[in-house]
Amino acid sequence: MQNKINRFLLDFSVLSIFRRGSKNIFIFFVFTLLIFLLSSILFISNSIKSELDTTLNELPDITVQRLQAGRAINMPLSRVDRLLAIEGVKAVIPRVWGYYYFANAGVNFSVVGIDSFEDQYRDLYSKLCDKFDFDRLKKDSGMLVGVGVKKILQNSFYGDYFNFVKPDGGLTKIKIDGVFKGDTKLESNDIILLTSQKAREIFGMNKNEAVDFVVKVANPTEIPNIARKITTLYPDSRVVTKEDLSISYQNLFDYKSGLFLALFVISAFTFFMIIYDKASGISSDEKREIGILKAVGWKIDDILKEKFYEAFILSFASFVTALCLSLFYVYFLNAPLLKNIFIGYSTLKPAFDLPFAFDFQTNAIIFFLTVPIYIAATIIPSWRVASMDADEVMR
Amino acid sequence: MIELKNVTKEFKIGAKDKVTALKDINLHVGKGETVLLKGPSGSGKSTILSLIAALNKPTSGEVIVDGKRVSKLADNFTALFRRENIGFIFQRYNLIPTLSAKENVIVPLIPSNPDPIKLEKRLQELFSSFSLDSKMGVIVKNLSGGEQQRVAIMRSLINNPTIIIADEPTANLDKKLSLEFIEILRKLKSSENSIVIASHDPLFFDLDFIDRQIDIQNGEIQCY
Ligand SMILES: Nc1ncnc2c1ncn2[C@@H]1O[C@H](COP(=O)(O)OP(=O)(O)OP(=O)(O)O)[C@@H](O)[C@H]1O
Ligand SMILES: [Mg+2]
Repeated sequence: MQNKINRFLLDFSVLSIFRRGSKNIFIFFVFTLLIFLLSSILFISNSIKSELDTTLNELPDITVQRLQAGRAINMPLSRVDRLLAIEGVKAVIPRVWGYYYFANAGVNFSVVGIDSFEDQYRDLYSKLCDKFDFDRLKKDSGMLVGVGVKKILQNSFYGDYFNFVKPDGGLTKIKIDGVFKGDTKLESNDIILLTSQKAREIFGMNKNEAVDFVVKVANPTEIPNIARKITTLYPDSRVVTKEDLSISYQNLFDYKSGLFLALFVISAFTFFMIIYDKASGISSDEKREIGILKAVGWKIDDILKEKFYEAFILSFASFVTALCLSLFYVYFLNAPLLKNIFIGYSTLKPAFDLPFAFDFQTNAIIFFLTVPIYIAATIIPSWRVASMDADEVMR
Repeated sequence: MIELKNVTKEFKIGAKDKVTALKDINLHVGKGETVLLKGPSGSGKSTILSLIAALNKPTSGEVIVDGKRVSKLADNFTALFRRENIGFIFQRYNLIPTLSAKENVIVPLIPSNPDPIKLEKRLQELFSSFSLDSKMGVIVKNLSGGEQQRVAIMRSLINNPTIIIADEPTANLDKKLSLEFIEILRKLKSSENSIVIASHDPLFFDLDFIDRQIDIQNGEIQCY
């Protein structure tokens, strides 16, 4: 038989779409909306998942705090050596951090002490700041501040330094060595980076104390084991593993997206019923037309081919339109409204842009969830009519 | 050419009842012959035409056209058979109202993906011989009854059929248009074509080119 595409049949199909214009415009509209919602949600959740993965990767393997009366208190540095002695522990990094209340402006700054050997942070901070130089930071005993901090200080007439008030009332003057790059996600944040030594001074902490420890582990599968050993060794510690954190992040996200999916399924179902009703309900005119086609010599498969073209052209046009719309909506407009539904996640982090996470699989899923179902919904009833006697159908 | 052998056709009505539309019909129409089926409404004329065009199957008996037992053919083959042999002018035209005149005429040829240039030539010929050149692009539902019928005739002729079937062709036409149609039929008569007309319009009763008139009453052929 002929393998090349029958242009007359194709023309006839396109013409038929327009002949039944009002019905098809309605279907196109609802179908596009449905696919748009579906793909936007998949894009957003994909995007958040990939953002989440990056965040989780940056989490420390194990964090150890010391508790007294249920509250976290400072950690003596003397514990470092005994923790290092645990098999599988690669490094123990004491952290000095906390909040500094700036009474003039009524705001809290997050103060983080860093040490030049903290490779983990070196990369991160190098990214944050143009002219970052750990050694200089150490030598000068200066600090790096976020744009937000810089602004607040300027409003209080601090140009290139700031006087911290220590717990004992004394002052510590620290130079501003640099400001974070403006285009990072943390641009508006309130962080102050300085040496651990200076941080201790500001907080009035003992030289041989830290706020908590970050424990690095050689083999990730050992993490739960080592966590248990730490608790045995120091029963007053609270040990939080990467997994614990990651589970709570993930749970929150899954919960939100699950809730959303449930809502979506309900609305998608409604939409589909509307479309199904419109698409599969063959009017008596359409029935008659099928009868006429048969009577003038169309085979059942000619009729089905025509109906297939019609359904495919319409649903594929909907699919492409909806996909373009949702790409624009999610990645260009940053998904206003819809993104807020995943709010549980966005409260964990400051405002962020949805990273581009377009994958072929997602689109294939969307395609197979929509186009073939639509085609089947329109072809099956036509097939039923087409297999009756032409005579019968035309009456 | 066309042969009905002991054909009976029953229609089911509802679950139990049935109507016997044709009772043991035997009919032969030869090549080049023009035959008129006449008889009152409901006598079974349209049913005979449907069986010849294989739009329907007999309850018993056989329909043989051009040596093919069309009453035994599967659905897809009857469609092909119609496409290649039959030109059917339906009682109510059965045009697709939202297509233009030209598009309606092309419809029977679409599945066979015709050569566009040859097709265009054939369309020009047809439309000018039916004096409808100026109405080619007009949507059929905006045409007058007579024009619609001419479109229906052109559609039945587009595939150069050897069997032309016309069911009550003058039922919706005034006298002038009816006579025009009869002239068209006269021109279609040739030694190659068999023509079967079903009508109870007296205009057909004394036509010189009609070879035979068959009277049908209550699904049976009346003998004289
Ligand atoms: N598909 C069908 N289902 C049920 N009954 C039918 C069907 N087709 C025809 N009939 C019945 O068969 C009988 C013959 O019908 P047919 O249409 O052949 O008559 P006709 O001679 O063409 O009449 P008319 O002059 O009114 O067109 C009628 O009683 C009709 O009601
Ligand atoms: Mg009839």
